[in-house]
Amino acid sequence: MNATTIGFIAVGVVLFVDFALLLGLVALKTVHRRRAERHRLRRARYVATLSRHLASSTHIEPIDGGAADDDAFLDAVIDLRNVVTGHDVETLTGIVDSLGLARIQEARLRSRFPLGRRLRAAVSMAEIGDESTARVLIEYLSDPEPEIRIQCARGLGRMQHTAAIDAILERFGLEEPWVRARFADTLVGFGAKATWPLVAYIRVNLSHDENESVIEAIRVLGTIGDREVGPTLSGVLRVASDPEVQLATIEALGAVGGPLAIPPLKHTFRSADWRLRAKSAASLGHIGDPSINLVLSSGLVDSNWWVRRNSAAALASLPGGSGLLLDTLESEDPFARDAATEALADCGALAAAREREDAGVATADDRRLLDHVGAEETVLA
Amino acid sequence: MSETKRILVCDDSETVTTVLVTALELEGYEVATAVNGIEAYEMGATGNYDLVILDQLMPGLLGLEIIDRWHHEGHDIRTIMLSGVDDERTVVSSLESGAVDFVRKPFRLPELLARIRQRLNA
Repeated sequence: MNATTIGFIAVGVVLFVDFALLLGLVALKTVHRRRAERHRLRRARYVATLSRHLASSTHIEPIDGGAADDDAFLDAVIDLRNVVTGHDVETLTGIVDSLGLARIQEARLRSRFPLGRRLRAAVSMAEIGDESTARVLIEYLSDPEPEIRIQCARGLGRMQHTAAIDAILERFGLEEPWVRARFADTLVGFGAKATWPLVAYIRVNLSHDENESVIEAIRVLGTIGDREVGPTLSGVLRVASDPEVQLATIEALGAVGGPLAIPPLKHTFRSADWRLRAKSAASLGHIGDPSINLVLSSGLVDSNWWVRRNSAAALASLPGGSGLLLDTLESEDPFARDAATEALADCGALAAAREREDAGVATADDRRLLDHVGAEETVLA
Repeated sequence: MSETKRILVCDDSETVTTVLVTALELEGYEVATAVNGIEAYEMGATGNYDLVILDQLMPGLLGLEIIDRWHHEGHDIRTIMLSGVDDERTVVSSLESGAVDFVRKPFRLPELLARIRQRLNA
């Protein structure tokens, strides 16, 4: 056999294999498409059947006994729970209970494989689970598979199972950052009920070296926004030496707000660390109490640009703050003037002044601002 | 004998349309569906329906835009707006545009059916 013949045979084999693979791929796609279509049709039929149950309290059409094992039925239940509310959800829960759907999903979750089936079971239990399935979801918060842990936490959050907060927090420091972030979302969903468990977690775990989970917990407290935690966060600021913890706490104090949050922020606004001063300015602005206007105006002459910028932006958002910014336009400090001008432009004061001037109704303050901007533009030109 | 009332259900969610079509047919209404804004606008403009249930967020045209178009073209179509966006502005805009009612998603099915009956009998 010469080389040309061998070459032809090799090309033929390659083409044959390619063709066979292509055929296999087409067959697989066709099978998958048909399965998906059958699934869609079954789901639509289940939605229709369940809808008849919801529409009429006297409707007694039985639901196929095999439905509980059918993923299409599960999808139909989950979809419907997102569409209806009130008594309709209770009716759906009754149907789910009568078919033992949760028990089937629990058995799937407890099986060792396949992973996709276990994951689907976790998602389903997160969607349709109730107090009776909370125990299983808590148990699987320590599953080796992160996505299953996340779904279990989500389910516990959805059913507002308060007893799960401590269980979720127990995992907080052990999780990878991306899983912890999802747990944090769940904790936020618990609202004020999670406040004190979070406070306890922060107190116990605040250390001098590894604070990632504590920082996340502080952020959760800020997002929940329960003003009761003001003194706790002040305490954290007093003892924490990690700047990241301090920054997260300052931000959380700004989000929580209230009069108790102001004194610690005024203190950190005088910190030697410019990052803390800049963050404090932003948080003070967020709280929105005009009593701190004078404190913030001192930030306009800070040595750091971020502190000047954040102080000016905070003042622009506070009642009476614009007046202080306008006064700063007369300052001898060019950096303070820049910060004030930028903040007045960003908050729309400059555009409003221009509009009033065009309309012939400009005030004395408008003219001060426009004259200053005009002079600056002349210098730049 | 009274004529069967015709209702047009416009929503891009297959689940929502299935729920409404099933429930409304059970009540004895004749029901048609539209799954996007353009289809909803065109079917509604035929004037063949006694009531239109219209989702606010649909591909093609928003519910409010559809009502506005019908209004400008002189169509008098009784519409119940259905929306997951329940901010005050959307509710007010819907009612000011001419919708006869506004129902938030997720909805209570018996309540929605009662509103539909009430609007059809008004």
